[in-house]
Amino acid sequence: MSAVLEVSNLRKSFGGISAVNDVSFDVREGEILGIIGPNGSGKSTLFNCVLGQLLPNAGEIRVDGKPTTGMRPCDLNRLGVSRTFQLLQVFPQLSVRDNLILAGQEHRGSMLSRLFGKSDAGLGDAARKMIDFFQLSHLSHEQAGALSYGQQKLLDAAMAFMAGPRLVLLDEPAGGVNLTMLAHLRERLRAYHAERHATFVVIEHQMEFVMALCTRVLVLAEGRIIAQGAPQDIRRNPTVIEAYLGGQSA
Amino acid sequence: MNRLGAIALGAATILAIVAPFFLRRYGIYLISMWAVLTIAAIGLNLTLGYAGQVSLAQGAFVGIGAYTVALLTQAGWPYPVAFVCAGALCFAIGWLLGYPALRVQHHYLAFVTLAFTTLVFLLLRNEEWLTNGIYGITGTARPVLFGWSTGSALDFYFFCLGMLALLAAATWWMLRSPWGRAFLALRENPLRALSLGLDTRRYTLMAFALGSSLGGMAGALYAPLVQFIEPNSFSLGMSFNLLLMVIVGGSGYFFGPFIGALVAVLLPEWTRFTEGYYLLLYAALVMALMAFCPSGLLGLVERVSKAMTRRAPPPSDLRAEGTSP
Amino acid sequence: MASFIQLLVSGLATGAIYALVAVGFSLLWQTSQTINFAQGEFVMLPAFFILAAMNAGAPFWLAVLIGIALSVVVLGWLFKVVIVDPMLKYGVLPLVISTIALSLFLKEAAKDFYSAQAQPFPTLVPATDLEVFGAVVSTQSLAVLLVAVVTVVALHLLLHKTRLGRSMQATAQNPTLARILGIPVQRMVLYTFLLNGVLVAIASILITPIYLAKFTNGEVLGMAAFLAAIIGGFNQVRGAILGGLILGVLDNLSAVYISSQYRGAFPLLILIAVILLRPHGLLGRAEERSV
Repeated sequence: MSAVLEVSNLRKSFGGISAVNDVSFDVREGEILGIIGPNGSGKSTLFNCVLGQLLPNAGEIRVDGKPTTGMRPCDLNRLGVSRTFQLLQVFPQLSVRDNLILAGQEHRGSMLSRLFGKSDAGLGDAARKMIDFFQLSHLSHEQAGALSYGQQKLLDAAMAFMAGPRLVLLDEPAGGVNLTMLAHLRERLRAYHAERHATFVVIEHQMEFVMALCTRVLVLAEGRIIAQGAPQDIRRNPTVIEAYLGGQSA
Repeated sequence: MNRLGAIALGAATILAIVAPFFLRRYGIYLISMWAVLTIAAIGLNLTLGYAGQVSLAQGAFVGIGAYTVALLTQAGWPYPVAFVCAGALCFAIGWLLGYPALRVQHHYLAFVTLAFTTLVFLLLRNEEWLTNGIYGITGTARPVLFGWSTGSALDFYFFCLGMLALLAAATWWMLRSPWGRAFLALRENPLRALSLGLDTRRYTLMAFALGSSLGGMAGALYAPLVQFIEPNSFSLGMSFNLLLMVIVGGSGYFFGPFIGALVAVLLPEWTRFTEGYYLLLYAALVMALMAFCPSGLLGLVERVSKAMTRRAPPPSDLRAEGTSP
Repeated sequence: MASFIQLLVSGLATGAIYALVAVGFSLLWQTSQTINFAQGEFVMLPAFFILAAMNAGAPFWLAVLIGIALSVVVLGWLFKVVIVDPMLKYGVLPLVISTIALSLFLKEAAKDFYSAQAQPFPTLVPATDLEVFGAVVSTQSLAVLLVAVVTVVALHLLLHKTRLGRSMQATAQNPTLARILGIPVQRMVLYTFLLNGVLVAIASILITPIYLAKFTNGEVLGMAAFLAAIIGGFNQVRGAILGGLILGVLDNLSAVYISSQYRGAFPLLILIAVILLRPHGLLGRAEERSV
């Protein structure tokens, strides 16, 4: 299996503080990779570098072999990389359906064809299917801002999946969600992964979520990878335990 | 659009068609000016209200459009062709101007358009061989369309009204297309939009170019309306005026420009008694509006109507999910 | 050569004034995201304060003090408290609109409540001419240059050598970090507004003898401030100073060596060139793409 994402020798510092320090890893197709680590370990910075929202100081990022370091987020998205956000970012004034159509419309045709084509950019059916998949059908025409927090999380994920991405980066998907919805979300993510053979990278704090969902786990501390492997092994790894409980915190 | 809005729109349309018959010449001139300025304001609303960029050059684009039409018709070109040229030229200039300015953040477009307006003014004033400088151009002919002469005040008003309806409809159609959704995304959450593959730069540029083009088309109507154009009319003053129009009406609302232009055209008339203090009042009004209701008059209407028709609480199944700490 | 020196000196004098205005503008932007479109009118207005005080009988030196005080209170403190603070919660765009409306308001106020006619304004020193290296240089230019340079140096010392100044800079560069370090951020922001009030007042006193007190002065001066800040680089105070000086010199040179009809155009073309080729300005740091 080829690597969907390759991160090589990534380095990012702010002023004198090194947030990401020489990090390298691969993500193989079909994996669900979890990235965990204590606060300040550099997970978010790493994410933002991969997604083009921060310019790394050194290192390279490749998607499907293509160098993407410093690419604009919209170009990266059109290459097949999408993301969800830690702080909810749906479009509150648009309906659920419109949110999804928006999420997919920029992947079809050119700007001009979008002007003269159909008002839903031919995505009406795909949106309906996605809404059904996430069991939000009864809310299809509700304004996204009126949904509950958990439902907005589902919508956020749905939007990330809308364009059929190769690689999805999920930024703390479990944050602020109650247990019932969490189980539902995890189940839907697994279902999507199984159906579409997608590749996920998940940053999370909630251990249970990561252990239950991910096929492989990477542990970051103070900007470096300190361990990687199967979830059960990571759980028992003394270096990891020390990083979380004892030792220096960033 | 809710039922109240539809009724208001219907009433306004009837009023717009019937009013000129009850007005004297100057009154007809005023409502013609309203129609023309609304077109320019609709353009600026695209740039400001939908793409969130401050443009201080809309007055300059009106000027470019006006001079284009004045000069071309003077040289014997048919009006419709000159009209299209005015729009196309302003679109191209808008694109060229916006391209570098929008690559940077920080509202650079505001400064670039400020500089551009001054530049255009200098060109119009100094290049006398082309524009007749400060002496201006008089007597731009009103067009004859399919045998209908728009020469009289009444006829020209209906021509302006017709063009307004046409351009507004075209803008409405554009906003209904995926572009409208993109503009909304751009305005509400550009970060998220980017992550969904939306090229925010390209859409912003398009909004600015289209907005400038509408400014040019307004100018194409301005010249035959006013019959005397000179560089001073299109300086920063008009750009500020148009900007305030969009803000007061409600930036980002489709009908905001209509209301804003109405206020702008009527206010000097109503405040005649204050003898030219009206600009001072206008500016004070805008500052107050910004402090209490930045979304303008239509925003105020929306707020009031929302308060009056308070929505029923959401059904219980939506409440089932709480948030965990 | 002689006339070149003359132009250079007067250009540097005007440039130093632009620099003061640009620095104030830049600081406001950096510390509180305030894009003050009324900055030009802020420079236009203190002169009218001073003239009004003189009309009320005050001698020039007293009127100047009153003018500076009024400027600090009205254009510094009141501006922050009445206009900027309430608007910040709505975001940058409404604030920009507010300052645009404010610039219009101040301009009209000066026109309506004082005069639409240009008013003469007393110079700092009696206007005589000196000979320097064969060039004829007016004492006025030299006095302006001197005061402006002293102010800029004082500003530099304040910002870099005093604790207060360093705190202000820290607030400008990274408010969150500054807060963590225990710097009273809100107070620092207030100080930048007050400082701007002082800077615009000094600039007003220096430039109005040349331009005469006109309600339209704000347009040119505001434009100069924006251009200087952008050319020099937004996130650097030194950039604003450099931008101002360059602008002043180029402005003067272009009036003579290029057609005077297009005098205003040259700086504008530079602006467009800078934005095209080096958007973060000559001294500015290339900004991170914002998250």
